[in-house]
Amino acid sequence: MPPEDDDMPDFSDVQGGASSTAPAAKAYEVYVVKSGDSLSKIAKQHYGNANEWKRIFEANTDVLKDPDKIFPGQKLKIPAKG
Amino acid sequence: MKKLTASLFPLLLVGAQACSKSEPPPTPPPTVAAAPTTTLPPAPSVSGATLGNAIGADKKVSAASETFAAKDTIYASVETAGTGHVKLRAVWSFTKGTKTAQVNESVLEFESAGPAVNEFHVSKPSGWPHGDYKVEIFVNDAAAPAVTKSFKVG
Repeated sequence: MPPEDDDMPDFSDVQGGASSTAPAAKAYEVYVVKSGDSLSKIAKQHYGNANEWKRIFEANTDVLKDPDKIFPGQKLKIPAKG
Repeated sequence: MKKLTASLFPLLLVGAQACSKSEPPPTPPPTVAAAPTTTLPPAPSVSGATLGNAIGADKKVSAASETFAAKDTIYASVETAGTGHVKLRAVWSFTKGTKTAQVNESVLEFESAGPAVNEFHVSKPSGWPHGDYKVEIFVNDAAAPAVTKSFKVG
C-alpha cells in the first residue's frame, strides 16, 4: 500500500465484498493496517461492532500472536459479514 | 596322399557348412504394454470479467457497463471453470496521472468442482471521486492478473 498522498482522494470508507455460486466459498477483504488502528477499531469500521474484533483475530492467527499488537503495513483478512 | 586328400575332402565340406550355418535369429525383446494414459482434470481458469452496477441471483452482471455514477456499487462478475483449489483476488485501484492508489482488495477461496460464477463488489458511501479506475483479477497467487478491466466514474 503506497503512503498517503495529499494529492489522491481518500478511500478509507470503501467497502468491498465477494460471493460465489461455488459451495462453501470463503470470502474476505484484505485490510492494510494504518497507524492508530486497533482490531476493535477495524471491527467497528467493517462490521459496525467493535466487539467483532475476535473474529478478525481468529482469522489472522497465522500473522497475529497478540490481538493488541498490530503494526502499520500488516495485511489482515477481514472475513465477510454473516 | 591323393587318396587321403580325397577321403578328407567330404569331411572338409561338412565342416565348412557347419561353420557357415546361420545363427538362430535373435530373440525379439519382450513387448512392453503401453502405459494407460491418464487425463488430468483441467486446472482452474478464469474466462473473463463483466462490470456493472447490479447483479442477478445468478451473480452475473445485469447490464454491462464501464462508466459509473458516484454513488454506484460497482460489481465485477467473473466466471471460473476447471477443478481444484481456487483463490480469486480482486484488486481495485484508482489512477490519476502516473499515480495509482489501491482502493480495495477482496478474496474468494473455494474448492472448484466445475463452472462457477463469482462476484466482487465495492461501494463508497461518500461517493466515488471522478476519474479512472481498474480492477485486476488474480488466480491462485499468480504474479500477473488473469483479467484487467478498466472503468470510469463520472
